[in-house]
Amino acid sequence: MPANETELFQALSDAVVGMDEDRARKLAIEAVVRNIDAYTAIERGLVDGMGRAGELFESEEYFIPELLLCSDAMYAGLDILRPHLKVEDANQRRFKVVIGVVEGDTHDIGKNLVRIMLEASGFDVIDLGRDIPAQRFVDTAVTENADVIALSTLMTTTMDAMAEVVDKLEASKLRERFKVIVGGGPISPAFAKRIHADGYANSAPNAVKLVKQLAGVPA
Amino acid sequence: MSHDCMTPVQRFAAYGRGEAIDRLPCVPIVGNTAARIVGARVSDFRGNGKLIADAQVAAYRRFGYDVIRIFTDLYTQAEAMGARVHYPDDETAYLAAPAIDSVEQIATLQPANPHTDGNLPAHLEAMSRAVDAVGAEVVVTGALTGPFTTASFLIGTETLVRLMLKNPAAVHQLCEIALQGAIDYAKAILDTGCTPSLTDAMCSTTVISPKQFRQFGQPYLTRLVEFIHSHGRPVTLHICGKTRSIWGQMCETGADCLSIDNAADLGEAKSIVGDRARLMGNVSPSEIMLQGTPEQVREAVRECVRKAHDNPKGLIVASGCSLPVETPFANIDAMLNAVRKIGWPVYIEEGMETAWKA
Repeated sequence: MPANETELFQALSDAVVGMDEDRARKLAIEAVVRNIDAYTAIERGLVDGMGRAGELFESEEYFIPELLLCSDAMYAGLDILRPHLKVEDANQRRFKVVIGVVEGDTHDIGKNLVRIMLEASGFDVIDLGRDIPAQRFVDTAVTENADVIALSTLMTTTMDAMAEVVDKLEASKLRERFKVIVGGGPISPAFAKRIHADGYANSAPNAVKLVKQLAGVPA
Repeated sequence: MSHDCMTPVQRFAAYGRGEAIDRLPCVPIVGNTAARIVGARVSDFRGNGKLIADAQVAAYRRFGYDVIRIFTDLYTQAEAMGARVHYPDDETAYLAAPAIDSVEQIATLQPANPHTDGNLPAHLEAMSRAVDAVGAEVVVTGALTGPFTTASFLIGTETLVRLMLKNPAAVHQLCEIALQGAIDYAKAILDTGCTPSLTDAMCSTTVISPKQFRQFGQPYLTRLVEFIHSHGRPVTLHICGKTRSIWGQMCETGADCLSIDNAADLGEAKSIVGDRARLMGNVSPSEIMLQGTPEQVREAVRECVRKAHDNPKGLIVASGCSLPVETPFANIDAMLNAVRKIGWPVYIEEGMETAWKA
């Protein structure tokens, strides 16, 4: 086991990068046992590791399978550490994203990667899943008081369902309240512009950069 | 309709022998767009081999392209082995649920019987009817999904890609079953007089690494290609998304033609594997064919031709993937007409250039 806090954070980060779910869990328990601040352990350990995994993904050393296993390790650690967050850390208002795959499509790996990377970057993410009707995005964004609606699709047939979400927001006079961002195989910046979305990203790491921009936090 | 001087069969034969042709082969990959030609809903194709054939033959006659591909979606083989597919009223079908959800259930799977299971019999009927109707003049292919991709539909993509790292033996077990199903279906396709046309979407390096492709995709594709070759037919292999780092491996499967997505570059493909495989591609199905203007289509075609018309093993001007259902007919016409205008030997008129400045 690591000798001190710094080493433990490093080990947590390494466990995420190394796709070692069991080790991430054990190290998180160790952090709890040693009474280490949960928020710091998450930030400097798990989140740091997921950030490194994201960089490896961008440089094509890691691919989707590796990134998913890294996230499994991150979530295993999070499950242990989250209940030990200080009340003010757990309850702080974070920038909130409602995400899902639009109706008519069940390809959700891309959406899942964006969710993982957003969560790893400290955003509050409500994941609606896949094949989601336009109205549910709108309703959830309202009830959850979200900041961003993130729409994903891999199919050209379902691109119009993205425009439908924007149209519904406009019809309900809610358009100004939420930022709408889009992504997925057939989506282009030009398409995003045409449907009056607020942003487009071509990868999960870039989606995080986009949301950070919208949230006004430094990238 | 076209003003071509050769039939697609004549054109491919002459092109393959290095003889004069009237124009480059051209394949806007028409799938469910064919429903729009005959005024049918996409879901009407389900289980209706005659309608699929009528629509595909009508689309071929309407546009005059070089390959008919009997295709509705990638799930037919997985569906015939137990995956649940949802059929919207008038859109392309999508996977509702995989056939199994745990490694323990792999042993319960059986390779599909192409003559009895799911929609495979309807697709075979469509192939047979299309071959009977126009097989003498145009190449008729039957879509065949690669083993790794079918495996992903059988157990769920996320589960499969996790298993690649955690339980490789289970992935191989699943791919073996999918391969057996694919070989049986390929045999039935060949019996109709059709040529199987391979798609292995999940092998894209947008999803898995080149090393994982070598481990879990390539071996099964190679055996499938060998099987089709043993029946004297050439193989076209399409992998979606990014593929640059696996073009060499795609050639190692024995595939004769690589169909390249618009996420990759035809010029690079030519310089890396052009002496080993014919190239097919790669006008963007969404940005250009669906959403672009005819002029954008023409420019995209010229760009493809500039980049790869001198590919040692030849070029088929094509869309980078299957066309979206609502692709405007005018854009499909524009693709064919652009190729006709360029002609053979290839001549791209000066003054038409907008993008070519290098």
